[in-house]
Amino acid sequence: MLAPKSKLSRRKFLQAAAITGGSALLAACAPAATPAPAKPAEPAKPAAPAAPAGGKATELRMAWWGSQDRHDRTIKVIDLYMKKNPNVKITYEFAGFADHLTKMTTQAAGNQLPDIMQQDYAWIAEWAGRGLIIPLDNFASSGALNFKDVSEDFLKGGRVGGKLVAVNLGSNSQCFSCDQGDFEKTGLALPKDDWTWDDFEKTSMTIKEKAGKWAVHGLYGEQLWKSLYLSLGEWSYATDGTAIGYKDDAPFVNYLKMLLRLQKANAIPSRSEDLASFDGKSVEQQPLAVGKAAMDSHWSNQVVAVQKAAGDSRTIKMVPLPRPAGGKSSNYIKPSQFFSVTRDSKAPEEAAKFIDFFTNDIEANDILFAERGVPIAGKVREAMIPKLGKAQKEMFDYVARVSKIAEPIRPADPPGHADLVKNVFNPQVIDAVMFEKAKPEDAAALLRKEVNAVLAKNKK
Amino acid sequence: MASSIRKKNFKQNNWMGYFFIGPWLLAFLAFTLLPMAASLYFAFNDYSSLDSLDKARWIGLQNFERMFFNDNKYWKSVGATLYYVIFAIPLRLTMALGLAMLLNTGRNGVSFYRAAFYAPSIVGGSIAVAVMWRQVFGTEGLFNAAIRLLGLPTRTWLGDPDYAIWTLIALAVWQFGSPMLIFLAGLKQIPTEFYEAASIDGANGVRKFISITLPLLSPVIFFNLIMQMISGLMVFTQAFIITGGAPLDTTLFYALYIYRRAFENFQMGYASAMAWVLLIIIAVFATIVFKTSNQWVYYESKEE
Repeated sequence: MLAPKSKLSRRKFLQAAAITGGSALLAACAPAATPAPAKPAEPAKPAAPAAPAGGKATELRMAWWGSQDRHDRTIKVIDLYMKKNPNVKITYEFAGFADHLTKMTTQAAGNQLPDIMQQDYAWIAEWAGRGLIIPLDNFASSGALNFKDVSEDFLKGGRVGGKLVAVNLGSNSQCFSCDQGDFEKTGLALPKDDWTWDDFEKTSMTIKEKAGKWAVHGLYGEQLWKSLYLSLGEWSYATDGTAIGYKDDAPFVNYLKMLLRLQKANAIPSRSEDLASFDGKSVEQQPLAVGKAAMDSHWSNQVVAVQKAAGDSRTIKMVPLPRPAGGKSSNYIKPSQFFSVTRDSKAPEEAAKFIDFFTNDIEANDILFAERGVPIAGKVREAMIPKLGKAQKEMFDYVARVSKIAEPIRPADPPGHADLVKNVFNPQVIDAVMFEKAKPEDAAALLRKEVNAVLAKNKK
Repeated sequence: MASSIRKKNFKQNNWMGYFFIGPWLLAFLAFTLLPMAASLYFAFNDYSSLDSLDKARWIGLQNFERMFFNDNKYWKSVGATLYYVIFAIPLRLTMALGLAMLLNTGRNGVSFYRAAFYAPSIVGGSIAVAVMWRQVFGTEGLFNAAIRLLGLPTRTWLGDPDYAIWTLIALAVWQFGSPMLIFLAGLKQIPTEFYEAASIDGANGVRKFISITLPLLSPVIFFNLIMQMISGLMVFTQAFIITGGAPLDTTLFYALYIYRRAFENFQMGYASAMAWVLLIIIAVFATIVFKTSNQWVYYESKEE
């Protein structure tokens, strides 16, 4: 009695389940079957009528990281490109910096990388070394990628082992941004382009005494360690990326000792203060932008955001990094980021054509507006200069000024760089010295040992 | 006849059972068992998460050798994690027990307070609370403001190697809600006759606590201790958001170090090896607590 009844109800239940499940499935499929699909593919709609004549549309996938401002600008350029090239359909995904990297590494493991991906100088050697991004030299010589208007200085950063694996999207250089008002108040002239680290320390101490605020922020990062050796004709890493790149620890030891003196005089935020209040914050929240320091260490494209945060009443000027007495410039021109074509692309030539458009098209760059740094194509720069605002003009001028004195860019960070910065440089060198747990000499020696140990794995 | 119907029925029952647990079972296989098996395999491989799977290279025990003998940060992370567990868990349990006893007195509004005290535990593991904690203990934060009012010297708590880990311990102690609820349930199980009898014999509050509450609550304490210890050893989110392991690696907890190796340095093989050692460490700790439990955990039913 019981059994048939429950059987029946079960059968009924299953039928019901199948029907609801099936209809849910149908419902899920329905929107995809209609001609107007969901968000990412939307821009393809106007292109559709033109496509049938020329056969199938080429599909490209593209991924980048950035701020909302960058997303909006980039999407507009993609739409513009698809309007001009109805046979190409571009879908895209974007995220913040860290999420972008996580997504890309996952897709790399699954052989599902997008056709075009935004790359950072810190990873290109590793990605190119693993064959994840492909050389573009063929497209450059065939004309799909046109670099006639681009100086080799701007392209160089994207070469790994002599092959162009990544195209620079904008040029940058390091700088100290200075609050002009603070310098006027303390009776100091703005530093000259060839100032030395001694000048830097004196200036900082004077500002601390007279302006009663921190003189400078941003001295704890590994970028300055590299630049210190650049001005001595060396680099943090050996050219082949298998060992440390300098013979003498003394310049770095002296730099650490200077940091200790500045910390003691309260001319810079203490390491403790820096970790507690500024580490990982955006430039708009850091001491110069909020008026707590007179100088800050930046990449040139960041100054636009800093000036905006500081407001019109203040003027931010940029000066190159200091150099050791008698040394060369500590600056180099760095690609802010790149586009690369990946191993998984089925239409690498079409991808290269899009990168060409991004680089050379004036209309596209009017939309992008140097948000990724100073454009690398000469004509694009010229067309943009009359339209620039105060901070962007300062950035263009600065990059132009620095390109004349800059040292050539050194090879991209070798595999293991991120490991060394996070696991050794920050905690075991900077923290250890600034919290006075280690002597500068010992910390520099430890860094040498660890760099050599980690980079030894890059030997073939 | 009857038996065959029953048999058929039984089969159908099984079929229905599988149907219902199917979604869970599939997800468990795909998202728990398979990754676990993969990580066990990776633990013996040199495998970068940037590479496709076929590039994994078998290296035997080298990951473990590196961990135990050639990675001083590994031992720092073990040290930081143990420090955290040793201080945070007893403090959290003491806090939980104390408040559970207060709430067990049957005063008015107890249910309101019970919910209020539990709230931090619901939101405690979240990113939002970690971000808030950063603000509270920031240089210009609430905590320093309170200290300034008292006329005490302020500090940069999050950047100070001696104190940064204590901001994380404080957060852990604040999240006492879930052990508190379990304690509360345990306290309600203790018959009031025991206390009445003790009062008649002239026992004071402390005496009653030591001689009645603690022994009768010991199974619950045991359960809470195990659960909290396990979650304590796996602490991640708080350190990831609030201190990022800094300063001087004093808050570089084990799970955070695994994350860094796996997803920032792409050393998936090494990270997998570390994860399996963590599993063993947790198992050892749990075993120690279990083995000692017959010394201090009192089960009423056993006596009968």
